[in-house]
Amino acid sequence: MNDKYLTVSVINRYIKHKLDTDENLTHVFIKGEISNFKEHSTGHLYFSIKDETSKINAIMFSGNARKLNFKPIDGSKVLITGRISVYEATGNYQIYVEEMIEDGIGSLYIAFEKLKKQLASEGLFDEKYKKPIPKYPTKIGVITANTGAAIKDIISTIKRRYPIGQVILFPSLVQGENASKDIVKNIKLANTFDLDVLIVGRGGGSIEDLWPFNEEIVARAIFDSKIPIISAVGHEVDFTIADFVADLRAPTPTGAAELAVPNLVDVNKYIDQLKIRLSSDILKKINIQKLYLDSLKNSYILKNPLLLYENKKQKLDLLNNKLNELIIKEIDFKKLNLDSLKNSYILKNPQFLYKNKYEKLILLNNNLNKNIKLKIDNNINNLNNLIEKLQLVNPLNVLKRGFSLTYKDDKIIKSKKKVKLDDTLNIKFSDGDIVVNVKEIN
Amino acid sequence: MKFEEKIKKLEEIVATLESENNDLEDSIDKYSEAMKLVKECDEQLKNIEEKVNKIVTENGNLEDLEIEE
Repeated sequence: MNDKYLTVSVINRYIKHKLDTDENLTHVFIKGEISNFKEHSTGHLYFSIKDETSKINAIMFSGNARKLNFKPIDGSKVLITGRISVYEATGNYQIYVEEMIEDGIGSLYIAFEKLKKQLASEGLFDEKYKKPIPKYPTKIGVITANTGAAIKDIISTIKRRYPIGQVILFPSLVQGENASKDIVKNIKLANTFDLDVLIVGRGGGSIEDLWPFNEEIVARAIFDSKIPIISAVGHEVDFTIADFVADLRAPTPTGAAELAVPNLVDVNKYIDQLKIRLSSDILKKINIQKLYLDSLKNSYILKNPLLLYENKKQKLDLLNNKLNELIIKEIDFKKLNLDSLKNSYILKNPQFLYKNKYEKLILLNNNLNKNIKLKIDNNINNLNNLIEKLQLVNPLNVLKRGFSLTYKDDKIIKSKKKVKLDDTLNIKFSDGDIVVNVKEIN
Repeated sequence: MKFEEKIKKLEEIVATLESENNDLEDSIDKYSEAMKLVKECDEQLKNIEEKVNKIVTENGNLEDLEIEE
């Protein structure tokens, strides 16, 4: 009953037979990346080949391995010819590698992806750094080979679309070892010219041919250019680092020319359109103003200006009346005022003012007299007293009793020694004086 | 003024005129300025003297560029 079950080795042998007889697998070409590479002491190489999503084991016997022209390591991109078969002992299928060469193209891709990722992270591809391409340039710089289709296409396209545009060619290597340095030199040189836009590119070619446009120095030169750059490298399908960093990517050189310059026919059409819009705008505006003016013209007031005048007149009368009223009222008021003033008590009997003033005056007068009299009496008494005192000490009283005063040159003489013969003296009596000469002195 | 600047100025004037709110004198001035620009642009396009393309030589100066068709 259980003879329908097969043994493992029978199964494996059957699978091996299946693979070995499938002509698609007996001579196969595979490209991929080497990983977990191990070289056995016998010289046999054990590794696996992978792509982004899957992997296959591989073995290369020393006989074939000796013919390799490169040193395979993990990560190497390789092109393999060999056959697929099963190693019965383990049941694993694997590829028996007969020939293996480096996938030149592959390593370029690796480099391309690496640089692309790095420049992207630095922001060189960011939209915000992309400069706008001027719509109506006058000077168009071109950096490409001065022979070949590219420059021809560009010039003929520009000549056809926009003859007033001038092309300035910066002849440059576009292929080979020092192409990238030449391109960078020309980008810098172009920036010293007064250009409106700059086309950088070349015609179609293999990835190696286009490689200069994947170089980092070219990418940085494009990024640093003050003049907007349109990249046009290779064919529609080719995307180089230059295309990512340029301000605008054109599929081909001709495409670049078409993006760089407008078509003159369109420009003319556009200007005509503007002309039409201009005149229609101004006409519309003028009409509006005219309508408005008309509406103002036949506005009611302007139609019958008298109206204005009338209500003004009315207003005038009104004001007039009011004015009169006011004046009359004012006059009455003033009259009243006057009357009240007139029969005011004071005016009626002015002497009232005068009266109390008068009484005050009399009062003051009396006081004055009294005081003066008093003062005079006092003075008189004082004087009398003084006189009496004077009388007592008056030297002339003495004269009355027969004494006399003798003067010489108005000085009183008290002794004969002061006198000489024949002097003239003056003798004063109570009732007067006499003048004498000195006769004798004894 | 460069051709590009003339076109831009022209576009600005059309835009302002199309917005209702500016007074008559101002609009008329702008209109005449615009028509002057239009005339200049037309002239520039009409007398298309073909520009001679140039090539920058090694020592950096310009020479006429002749590319056989």
